[in-house]
Amino acid sequence: MSLYLLFKGLLSRKVVTILLLLQLAMTLALLLNSVLLAQQTHKQLNQPTGMDLDNIVLVQLKPTTASLRVYPALEELLNRQLNAVSALPDVVAAAYANQSALLQGGNNGNVYLDGEEGRTNQPSVPMYFVSKEFFRVLDSQVLQGELPQHSVSLDNPVRPDVVITQSLAKQLFADKSAIGQQLNRGRLAAVISDFYGQRSGDNVMYNSIQVAPPYGVDWGYSILLRVTPGRAGAVRQQLDQVLRQVEPNIEIFHIRTLAEQHQRLYRNEYGLAMLLTILSALMLLVTMVSSYSSTHFHALKRQQEIGIKRALGASKNSIFIELLSENWLCTLVGALFGVVLALLLNQALAQVISIPSLNGYLPVMTIMALLLCVTLATWYPAAIATRISPASATKAL
Amino acid sequence: MEQFIYYLKVSLKGIKRAPLPYALTIFILSVGLGVFFANATFYYQLNSDPLPQKSDKLFFPMLNLVPYQCTTDCRTPRVLSYSNVQKLSQSGIPTQAAAMYSADGYLRINATQPPLPVSIRITQRDFFSLFDVPLLHGSVWPDNSARQEVILTKTSAENLFGRTDVVGEKLLLDDRHVTISAVLDSWQMLPRLYDANNHNHLSDADDIYLPLETGYDMNYLSNSQSSTFDDTDYRQLSTQGRTGALHQLQYWVQLDTAAQQQAYRQFMHNLVQDEKAAGRHPSEPNNQLIAMRDIVSYFGGESSDIKAFALVTLLFLLVCLFNASHLSLNRYLSNQYEFGLRRALGASRSQLQLQMLADVLLMALFTIGGALLTGYAGIKLMTELLPANRLFADWDLTLLIALLLLAVICSYLVTLYPSLRASFGTLNQQLKE
Repeated sequence: MSLYLLFKGLLSRKVVTILLLLQLAMTLALLLNSVLLAQQTHKQLNQPTGMDLDNIVLVQLKPTTASLRVYPALEELLNRQLNAVSALPDVVAAAYANQSALLQGGNNGNVYLDGEEGRTNQPSVPMYFVSKEFFRVLDSQVLQGELPQHSVSLDNPVRPDVVITQSLAKQLFADKSAIGQQLNRGRLAAVISDFYGQRSGDNVMYNSIQVAPPYGVDWGYSILLRVTPGRAGAVRQQLDQVLRQVEPNIEIFHIRTLAEQHQRLYRNEYGLAMLLTILSALMLLVTMVSSYSSTHFHALKRQQEIGIKRALGASKNSIFIELLSENWLCTLVGALFGVVLALLLNQALAQVISIPSLNGYLPVMTIMALLLCVTLATWYPAAIATRISPASATKAL
Repeated sequence: MEQFIYYLKVSLKGIKRAPLPYALTIFILSVGLGVFFANATFYYQLNSDPLPQKSDKLFFPMLNLVPYQCTTDCRTPRVLSYSNVQKLSQSGIPTQAAAMYSADGYLRINATQPPLPVSIRITQRDFFSLFDVPLLHGSVWPDNSARQEVILTKTSAENLFGRTDVVGEKLLLDDRHVTISAVLDSWQMLPRLYDANNHNHLSDADDIYLPLETGYDMNYLSNSQSSTFDDTDYRQLSTQGRTGALHQLQYWVQLDTAAQQQAYRQFMHNLVQDEKAAGRHPSEPNNQLIAMRDIVSYFGGESSDIKAFALVTLLFLLVCLFNASHLSLNRYLSNQYEFGLRRALGASRSQLQLQMLADVLLMALFTIGGALLTGYAGIKLMTELLPANRLFADWDLTLLIALLLLAVICSYLVTLYPSLRASFGTLNQQLKE
């Protein structure tokens, strides 16, 4: 079987070959970029968050009457709710916070060393106002200093101490000791391990926490619960009823695990990756139909040629391999164009969405997948073509 | 007509002779068009102009009037403070103007009822005429002063009272008494360009409308963006919120002529220079006057996922077109003998082309049916996977006509080359084959 003859065979039906090559090139381009996007989404969903996502339950809620949204009634409500949920079986720790972790944006602001705003300012750092069990709920490790043990009002003349995460401490103080330093939000009391705060921030691991009741709850507030591993489902089932028993005048926006919250944070990326995967599957299906139809039609058109080859001693196997080889050759040529097209598509997509660049091994893997699909599609018509008998095919001569 | 029916019958016979290649052609073309159409629906609706008659006259002014010297991020704040809006309102140049923001609240008829969570648009009197909001009952507030009056949407009135003629009825809004002064007719501005910050243009219309001054008196904070650039306590909105650098307001002005627009730009420039001279803001002036049709792209709110998918679905449609042409070519080449025979019996090439047109018509009909089904399924899937765009999934007449035209053009393109090749080949060779 000569490569020259295979090329000649393809060139003898130029239009059909060009159409097939275009399809294969576009399919590969789309397939490659879909895989890239799917890989990126997978990576985002699996990046470390610093939290045990499956075993932390988040309740987002708000009092429905204005009188419950002001102090002291609000603080009394927060404590009643915390006591009730803490008493539930399988709840290891419970805390309230003005906002949850793993958000797109929220309550945030500048953090800088007092008197050195120009040099040290870090904008859009999430500000958490929490009850003291917050650190236990997140299972945070204390890396420097000591955690505050008492809640202090934000209106107090002496502002409550500040706890920051490791990444923020490193940015502000490099490797120097940070404890006792005065930040614009208060005295630094402790540095804890990183956790994922807000996606819109400069660094998702930058966070500042103060043990204090929230300023207000106009945007609602969060109750976070650490539960015994594997018991999140059982606990969340009881939460709605327990919280409404404590105070009926509340609206519960949602009850979900932080794993679900994390998934929702990347919902758009996940959705787009899913859509592209479905489209890639459709493209592969369309390519398979095309390869099947092309092989089937040309095997029919070349009955005489195949019959003569068989009469001259060609085995069924060699006919079968020849037909498959034609498709493999076409796929490989199309794939080469496809890699170029994939690069162009990648650049065009990068103008509107965040997508990584093509790497070395991915095109090879995708071409292999395309070859497999084409082989599967051409197998049956190629097998049928081998059944052409030399006598029946040559009788027209 | 009789001849045309004959052509259709011949086409149908051709389909029956080899149904599988034909079905595959229709399937591939339908899937390509359906997927393209599903995404085109979102793309078209998201980029549509909800106020074509006046969108070039509505502008969103922004000033860099903040009490700090910016060092790194010197972009003009997306929202204005109450005092900024007061200063901007003093020009007398715009035909109409309204400041606004949105907040969350709870509504009920009396204290015994369960509260209804509502989205509140806190705004001024001109809002309703600026954006052509239709009234069903009652009238809009006579001026911009504080008043314990709300305007309800038709849906909110029906949800609360079971009827729409509820002007004068009393309500409890977050435990404070308010009176209904008007009820809006059904109204949905999509995309909601008057609130394009933070992708809010993708959201549904608000449930009730409250005067701006009352909103500040009642201490409602924005549920979208609220930034403090000084020590203003945002819990004291009614006092400190009116004087401090608490930014949460959006402001729209109607400037009908180029002269008005130029005059307002000059007014903004003078205002900022005066403020700077008075030492009330140290940053460099960076005034913006954005037209309504540009507001989404200014805020970077264009749906990048839909744009990216548009590129990909276009590529997919091309692949499907090539594929369908390929299948169609195979089908016509298989029938080449029939074409040759008809030509030998005296049929002209133009008659064969008319036959081809009958084929196109049938193919377009089947393809449209398939594309509509695939498009509908595609829209459902996209709504599920990208729920932020769920309000933009409706078909309208323009879209449907575009689909019909596209399906006919695609069917024609798919059939054109194969039929030309089949009917314009050498007669001898065709008969020999």
